[in-house]
Amino acid sequence: MTEFGTDLLDRTDTTLDVPWEVILWDDPVSLISLVVRVIKQVFNYDTAKAERLTMQVHHEGKSVVWSGDKETASAYCVALHSYALGATIQRSQ
Amino acid sequence: MSEPFRRVADRIIVDISLTLREWLANAARKTAGDALDVSTSTHLRLLGPIDPTVDHDDPLTQLQRQMTVEGSLGRFITTHLDEHLSEDDAEEWIRAFQLILAAFSAEHAIVTAEDRDNLSQEDHYDMITLQSGISLLIEALDS
Repeated sequence: MTEFGTDLLDRTDTTLDVPWEVILWDDPVSLISLVVRVIKQVFNYDTAKAERLTMQVHHEGKSVVWSGDKETASAYCVALHSYALGATIQRSQ
Repeated sequence: MSEPFRRVADRIIVDISLTLREWLANAARKTAGDALDVSTSTHLRLLGPIDPTVDHDDPLTQLQRQMTVEGSLGRFITTHLDEHLSEDDAEEWIRAFQLILAAFSAEHAIVTAEDRDNLSQEDHYDMITLQSGISLLIEALDS
């Protein structure tokens, strides 16, 4: 294997290890009570954590509500979208 | 004055006017149509890719999301004249109202609180109607 190939393999392995994040974005029309309820349902978080994340979204415009493997992040994101909440996934930075 | 939604055992009793039911059903039909029309802001808002660095979700995720949107709006349209709902149907009503609200937000380009506050009186009333429906349904379901 060439040195270039070894470098590429190493880089790919490192990339695979980087977790994915579910980002929940603020929107000016969804009710805070709805957002808290959906976060509790989707992630099974307790009320205090769901309220803290919701207020972070409200005040800072977004919040990382979960991180881990890509497949699960996608599933959570789709679940948030089923309530029309603005959510995206991204690699952890 | 009776509550628009109230729980009796495991059912949610719906006490809203026929006019409001038809208005909501028409909004649900419009949202369902616009969601599938890639030229609309509603499509991007409801079915845009979950990973913004790519143009499209993978086909399975795309299909799943499309079916979820169609399922919730379709379930609401089917049951919009019902006088009482199961808990599952009431949950679908919440999803449908949220989808209609998000479509409304996309159509009116509401990105900030200022955009929202500058809505016309009529549009503001429509938004409040949807938000109130969601809030009252949550209250009834979680009681």
